[in-house]
Amino acid sequence: MLRELGALLRREWLRYIRTPVWIISSLLVPVLYLILFGQGFNYPGGPAQYLGAPNYISYFAAGMVGFVALTMSLFSGANVIFDKGLGIVKRQAATPAPRSVIFLSPLIFRSLIALVPAFLVLGLAVLLAHIPGFVGLTITGSVGVLGAFEIVIAVLVLALMFNALFLAFGFALESPQSYFGIVNLLNLPILFTSNALYPPGVGPDWLHQIAEYNPVSLCVNVLRENLFGSSSYYPYIPEVYLLALLAWAAAFISLAVVLGRRALRTP
Amino acid sequence: MTDAIVCENLVKVYGDIIRAVDGVSLNVPEGEAFGLLGPNGAGKTTMVSILTTLVRPTSGRAIVDGLDVAKHPEEVRRRIGLAFQVSTADGELTGRENLEVAAGLQGIPAPEARRRIRELLDQMQLAPAADRLVKGYSGGMRRRLELAVGVVHSPKILFLDEPTLGLDPQGRAGFWDYIRHLRKDTGVTLFLTTHYLEEADQLCERLAIVDHGKIVATGRPDELKQRTGGDTVVVKPSKGEDLTQILSAVPGALAVQVIAGAYRVKCDRGEAMVPLIVTACDRAGVEIVSVEIRKPSLDEVFLELTGREYREEGTEHSGWASERMGQMRGGRS
Repeated sequence: MLRELGALLRREWLRYIRTPVWIISSLLVPVLYLILFGQGFNYPGGPAQYLGAPNYISYFAAGMVGFVALTMSLFSGANVIFDKGLGIVKRQAATPAPRSVIFLSPLIFRSLIALVPAFLVLGLAVLLAHIPGFVGLTITGSVGVLGAFEIVIAVLVLALMFNALFLAFGFALESPQSYFGIVNLLNLPILFTSNALYPPGVGPDWLHQIAEYNPVSLCVNVLRENLFGSSSYYPYIPEVYLLALLAWAAAFISLAVVLGRRALRTP
Repeated sequence: MTDAIVCENLVKVYGDIIRAVDGVSLNVPEGEAFGLLGPNGAGKTTMVSILTTLVRPTSGRAIVDGLDVAKHPEEVRRRIGLAFQVSTADGELTGRENLEVAAGLQGIPAPEARRRIRELLDQMQLAPAADRLVKGYSGGMRRRLELAVGVVHSPKILFLDEPTLGLDPQGRAGFWDYIRHLRKDTGVTLFLTTHYLEEADQLCERLAIVDHGKIVATGRPDELKQRTGGDTVVVKPSKGEDLTQILSAVPGALAVQVIAGAYRVKCDRGEAMVPLIVTACDRAGVEIVSVEIRKPSLDEVFLELTGREYREEGTEHSGWASERMGQMRGGRS
């Protein structure tokens, strides 16, 4: 099991490093978002307006981390569809390797690799706060080891959950067109029903009700509460949000395993 | 001798309509090179897919190395090797890396895998290109790599699905040499599908000719060729006249058959028959478009058994998405 998993993880890695355009764009896009949107949307206001974040850009940058983890996951299923088209998945299925490995290797790799641009955004946002002429994220809380750990786990779990979902679509669907149709359908609704980008108090109440349960919001809450030490603005401590996120992930990954198994079953 | 492969009344129906495999029974003794020969769409790939556990049979049984493929798919996968019709190598990886991934998926420990891969790269004459990306490989190199991937774990039984599809005649002949060497060195049981008659003739000790999911004949290539019994002279009249009587009356004509408007005269020596036939037609006032001598060949066997001309039509895939996606679903060929 481990040898097979290792072989497929290595394949994922080799494919990744041989696609420099994808690497560069996946790193550049969130950076550009941060600089273009972040700087442009620098609304006035302080911690009272932004759930404890010292300003909008700080609030926004934390949300961007969750957003990047989501967008990085959207493409993982597309690779599966292309691999299927090239007979690579069939080749894997003809080996004695456990079916679960065929599903787990892209899930693990893609989720870990999503952390790179996600935390690049966070680091860059902190850096921008120190560059004259730019606004950036100011950490006002005392994050600590536990806080940092919670943040990494929250982003990783969010990436795992969406990767599992979109990989399952990749295994289940046959054409790139239908896959991108689904991505297009889900991407923005997931983002815009979360509190990742828009500030509290903006928009209708029902949207905020939904946003409270959105997994991207739950992840971002863990970040914001830790980064800005703003527990007084949130009804729950970060661990509660993390647990809720884990519940979401458990449900999504179970669904993905069911879909993935069905797709890999011998017809 | 024990049988490496046994099929008992195997049936695969797709979507309740298409009987891709329609009651196939066959057996392949250990160490034999067995071929399924038939045109595109005859059900050959479906047969391979069933025997390699990629497609479940609708009914009937398939036993590979003593194991029922439907009941013990994982055990079967351990014992078999497979080279697909279309190269399944990852173009973004080097040849060596592709083999390393394949060895890992077979659970071979790294040191052993490295040694085995070196050996295979040498055997397949891929060593100089081993560390180049596969997307730069020629068609022949890809086929050899596909074969190497299929045998990386030294399987007991090797399935080759149209192994030389898309190769030019020279590349094809070269590839046959690799397979012959492989068989000599390892004694592997070979189950091969092809729609190239020459390939079946060259590589297989025994053949089954398949058409529309059914076996229409089984035997050694020379046995099958003898079935046509001597030469055939094919005569085409210009206006579709009925030549049966005229041709039957020609001395030396053993039998006359009409297939698709062409008259096929069986005889011992075609060369001796041609002038007699031409004279007979001339005397009867029938104009003929062509006269052709056909020596016994698998083409002739196929034609006589199925009533259809065997055509090795162009096999290059047009849109990869449609065709290869079709294969993904356990496609038929």
